[in-house]
Amino acid sequence: MSVLLSVRDLAIEYGSRRGPVQAVRGVSFDLEQGETVAVIGESGSGKTTLAIGLIRLNPRSARVTRGEILFADERGTENVLDMDAETLRRFRWQRAAMVFQSALNSFNPVIDVWAQFLDTARAHGMDDARAVKRRARELLDLVHLDPDRVLRAYPHQLSGGMKQRALIALSLLLGPRLLILDEPTTALDILTQRQVIDLLRDLRRQLGFSMIFISHDLSLAAELADRVLTMYAGRIVEEARVADLFYRPRHPYSVGLLRAVPRVSGELGALASIPGSPPDLVSPPSGCAYHPRCPFAIDRCRIEDPPLGPVDSPGHAAACLRWQAVAEAVGTREPAKAL
Amino acid sequence: MSTIAVIARRPVGLIGLIGVGSFVALAYLGPLVIPLTNTVDIANIYRTPSLAYPLGTDFQGRDVLNQIVYGGRDILSVAFLAAFFSTAVAVTFGSLAATLGGKLDVAILAITDVVLTVPHFIVLVVVAAIFRPEGFLVLALLLASLQWAGLLRQVRAQILSLKEREYVEAARSLDLGLFHIIFREMLPNMASYVAIHFIFAMTGTVYAQVGLIVLGLIPLSGANWGSMLYLAQSQGALYFSDSFWYIFSPILAISLFQLSLVALSAGLEDVFNPRLRAS
Amino acid sequence: MAAVIPAEERIASRLDPRAQLGSLWRHPILRAALKAALTVLAATTITFTLIRLLPGNPIDLRIEELTRDGSVSYESAREQVSALYAIGLDEPLPQQYATYLWNILHGDLGTSFLSRGVPVMGIILAVLPWTLFAVGTGLLLSFVVGIGLGLVAAYKRGSFFDQAVSTIGSIISSVPNYLIAILIVLVLGVQLRWVPITQMRGAFSPGIQPGFSLEFIGDVLFHAALPISVFFLTQIGHWILSMRNATLASLEDDHVLAARARGLSDRRITTAYVGRNAVLPLVTQLAISVGFIVGGAVIIEQIFVYQGVGQRLVRAVAQRDYPVMQGILLLVTISVVVANLVADLLYSRLDPRIGRAGDA
Repeated sequence: MSVLLSVRDLAIEYGSRRGPVQAVRGVSFDLEQGETVAVIGESGSGKTTLAIGLIRLNPRSARVTRGEILFADERGTENVLDMDAETLRRFRWQRAAMVFQSALNSFNPVIDVWAQFLDTARAHGMDDARAVKRRARELLDLVHLDPDRVLRAYPHQLSGGMKQRALIALSLLLGPRLLILDEPTTALDILTQRQVIDLLRDLRRQLGFSMIFISHDLSLAAELADRVLTMYAGRIVEEARVADLFYRPRHPYSVGLLRAVPRVSGELGALASIPGSPPDLVSPPSGCAYHPRCPFAIDRCRIEDPPLGPVDSPGHAAACLRWQAVAEAVGTREPAKAL
Repeated sequence: MSTIAVIARRPVGLIGLIGVGSFVALAYLGPLVIPLTNTVDIANIYRTPSLAYPLGTDFQGRDVLNQIVYGGRDILSVAFLAAFFSTAVAVTFGSLAATLGGKLDVAILAITDVVLTVPHFIVLVVVAAIFRPEGFLVLALLLASLQWAGLLRQVRAQILSLKEREYVEAARSLDLGLFHIIFREMLPNMASYVAIHFIFAMTGTVYAQVGLIVLGLIPLSGANWGSMLYLAQSQGALYFSDSFWYIFSPILAISLFQLSLVALSAGLEDVFNPRLRAS
Repeated sequence: MAAVIPAEERIASRLDPRAQLGSLWRHPILRAALKAALTVLAATTITFTLIRLLPGNPIDLRIEELTRDGSVSYESAREQVSALYAIGLDEPLPQQYATYLWNILHGDLGTSFLSRGVPVMGIILAVLPWTLFAVGTGLLLSFVVGIGLGLVAAYKRGSFFDQAVSTIGSIISSVPNYLIAILIVLVLGVQLRWVPITQMRGAFSPGIQPGFSLEFIGDVLFHAALPISVFFLTQIGHWILSMRNATLASLEDDHVLAARARGLSDRRITTAYVGRNAVLPLVTQLAISVGFIVGGAVIIEQIFVYQGVGQRLVRAVAQRDYPVMQGILLLVTISVVVANLVADLLYSRLDPRIGRAGDA
């Protein structure tokens, strides 16, 4: 298996009146071809900044202060951060496509859907309108939409779910190897969420692209992800295969997230949430950024900021000095029962 | 962010405030301090500015600066009055239309639309020509009679959007009553809006007033900025190269006053609408 | 699943006149036309009230004038005035109103006081086109240039260009337009002599053959240049600022970021994604501007001695020619209403969210 995307020590900050906000503080991970990785975290963890940063779409006030984003597909290997404006523009959508949280507002309201498909194709050198039309219809069929109806329509004439699916079809127009999705199911109702999840799984099977998706929804990770990255205060605090994360979490934050999900079956327990609030990213806490809210914290945690280190399963890493204590507390049963 | 800091960052509001304040002082306090010099002196026609006559003299040898000092009072008074009337009507009926809705809303909106479509100045010209209004009150009412329409639409739109806001819903769910909702919850949010529009109403009134005076349709006694221009026009002084200062002074006075009003309202907008502040 | 509506009910609702009218109301073009008609109706009512009903109205005054010295009998005075105003004075009031409306629909606005027997309609139609031409040209020019400058200013937000353009624009648009006209005559015409104001008087030079020749058109433009410049200058600030604000708001739209993520070129995004959305609210303002500028034209035409409807109105006022005044009010209102209608239709074509049949 070859590596498609390799992020090395990426740091992104943006300016604010009080000083630079360090939204991403040294993130590294690899994404293999055909793999799906979920980036999970609460609001303010930096996950959206990270996702947008992968295609350098951050607002003007943002700056990448260090790191590399290496992208390797059939066309070659390059550092996204080094690309000039034109290369970057062609890189976007052709090799890596990003679908936003508000697919509801990802379409230009005053031109019809077909025009937006054509715009996208033309921007990447596909000038043959008929060929584009054919491809668009194929893709819309693939996402179970009626091509005639959708292409002729204006965005406001489509429902939320239809727009999301149309956007997914559009994202595949140029055959990208990487699909980045930011909160793909958040704004949708339960039934539509199910449709979109199944659709993504289907498409992935058929077309074999890699996916990174950002969410705060753990169930989505459980459904679709091969691996999960937990993000806190701009850092990755745990990296694991999906089963390992759910059954054998090793970072207190991951444990907290898992516990916070209310259970559908079993007894009615109290709603658990992580006490405290997300850290101030202008001046993050000393040592481990999570220590103020961590039930496992000891004095050392206030001083040392642990890097991602291996824990007791292969391919599993956690940025915690006390991961063994966490392992003991969790055991090998479901975390919600253990604590 | 403190209000002062905001105003200081973009001094527009401050400039506007100083400007408006100066003109108000000039118009109302000036005449108390500076005696009126109305003496006709044919030998002194159209003098260029000098120490004795800082803005020169007019076609009858009278001091222009003196006329400027005395010339603002009538115009400002009518402007204040008319703006007050039109703002009052607009806020009252706009809120009623928005809060009560239904047939009343439709009726008010229809009337407003008609008034907005009709070309205001032409109506004013025709009405003034036919009925020759006299006196501050009548003039102010006439000017206000068309001006309320623009503000009413905006008041109504603002209240309609406020109606959907959460704190109104909260007030409603606490069963606080219509009056309370309008006066204690919504109108305080409207205060800024109303102030800004009062200022705009004043600019509109000055425009219409001076326009009517220049056309000779309003018989206001005594010299004012507008009548100076009317006289210049009717005397043909416009094409006279010597009369430059006589004509330019009232234009400058009126323009600076309008500019001060606009600057002040821009400053108020900054204070009340943080979204518009440059980040 | 929708409830099943029995067939009889469905058929009945289709024949119900109120439902038909309701569906008429929903169609945007018809609704706009209906509104326009109602506004014209309201304007005619207003003029009728002014001319006939209010105390001190011109009709009563005129009758009094004619009969004052005893040379004209009351009946013949009434007849004369009747013909002058196209209002049948012997009839009961509602019928007077109806006759008035009827006459107007047939283009009969009465005859001029001063020029005996000359129909008002003809007088006005001779001068109205000149005003509409100057106003329309000035408005369109200021709109096009204004939205261009506003768009650039928004993209270069905070730069010197932006600050300069915004400040200058807002200063010029705060000064009353007729004062700018006076200033042009005063400074450019008389003091500096850069502009040959005396030669530019009138709608076209005397002696030139009207027609579609290049010479005539050039001459017309020469004479209309000053009024058009004033209309242009006093409006452009408003368009610049409005477009600037609209563009800044449009740049924040989610779909713009999504378009960049799709690798669309900056130019395409600026025109079809940012620009098209930003311009929409400005189109509605176009129509409102017409009414305002036409008002200013009254004085501006006087100052430049431009023979449009504004100047004719001033003359009618000086001569107390009430039928002409009333006619001008009516016709200008109708022109503004038509302009509004056109703008409404234009808007509904530009914004697909308005009035499309067959929404999902």
